Amino acid sequence: MAARSMLRSVWTSFAGLKVGATCPMVKVQQRIIVPQLPALTVQSRGIRQVVEKKDNKTTTIEGQILDVPAAPQPPNPTAKCPIYRWNLQHKYNYTDVLLLSQFIRSDGGLLPRKITGLCLEEHRKIAICVQMAHRAGLLPDHKPKLPEGHVPKRPKPQLNRYLTRWSIDSVKPIYKSGLKWSKRRMPVGDPALKDNVCYSVKPLYLKH
Amino acid sequence: MDGLQVGLQFLFTGLNPLQQILHCVLQWATFARSWFVIDARMQPPGKIATMCSVRLQGKHKPIYHAMSDCGDHVVVINTKQIAFSGNKWEQKVYSSHSGYPGGFKQVTAAQLHHKDPKAIVKLAVYGMLPRNLHRRTMMQRLHIFADDELPEDIQANLTEELPQPREIPRKLSEYTQEEIDAFPRLWTPPEDYKMK
Repeated sequence: MAARSMLRSVWTSFAGLKVGATCPMVKVQQRIIVPQLPALTVQSRGIRQVVEKKDNKTTTIEGQILDVPAAPQPPNPTAKCPIYRWNLQHKYNYTDVLLLSQFIRSDGGLLPRKITGLCLEEHRKIAICVQMAHRAGLLPDHKPKLPEGHVPKRPKPQLNRYLTRWSIDSVKPIYKSGLKWSKRRMPVGDPALKDNVCYSVKPLYLKH
Repeated sequence: MDGLQVGLQFLFTGLNPLQQILHCVLQWATFARSWFVIDARMQPPGKIATMCSVRLQGKHKPIYHAMSDCGDHVVVINTKQIAFSGNKWEQKVYSSHSGYPGGFKQVTAAQLHHKDPKAIVKLAVYGMLPRNLHRRTMMQRLHIFADDELPEDIQANLTEELPQPREIPRKLSEYTQEEIDAFPRLWTPPEDYKMK
């Protein structure tokens, strides 16, 4: 662990140089020093801040442990997926923006599953909920950056929507909707969220 | 029509004048036509239309009868900001025929809303009312406005505001920093990962 922290301090000192020739060196060093471990198996004694003190001839490089407030314990700590750890399976929807915002980047994309530690089904459900939240306009600050001076050709119509399953441009109008006994229904929501807890008497309708 | 005139009709009924006036007041109170207002902001037009049709027919009253013309007035505001669930803005098609050959027109909900923001709610309510001759009079008692501004005479008549059928979800920008901090972090990112 000492060797690891020493190598790490060397990396930080290299990163401060910002010279083009040493960039590949820095990257190689990063690859060596920073193994891709899943978040669960990392035994962290605390996030440390590297501090350099220079005397006349001796430089002491110290890793000072920062005081990080202890996070509240999840009710089910033995589970693998963070949603199962907090017992939130089947309980979240596209409106739970506080939950969804923890798994997205600043431009609205999802973080990789290997980093967040989600299981496959929950990752897909969260992806669907984030898509629906974006289309409903619930995440206004997580839009992708447009290049400077970009003016859209046609002003887009500002239509309010919610529980949109398909992307707006990909859907075609239903010109022949059919008779009452064989109507072509319009899908609402997503079947992946079918098992969600329903507190109302009416069931969740997916086809309107 | 004041209470005294009506009271004179009851001269020979055996009721005293106070009871007669009370009867008039109660009669007026039960059969008066009230004005309801509904805010359609971020609401599905179908749910707004069911609430409107129930009140236009008078079915929310225990004294309802189809022949007794007991419907109320309903004012719908902010229909420009109506919200459809799913992809209905692109999928829902409103068809009409002018009667002339080649006069069949099919327009998506988005196009119709752009052309006339009141039309979607109007068509929805029209389709939910009973298919009889009272339907046109009930539609005359429905007042739709695309935005917040109401004429003064209608504003003076309003009696009750109806609650919105759908709960509007909060955007992430509407949450206070304390609420965001109070929500626990579900997962800890690895220290070396370049976040966002």
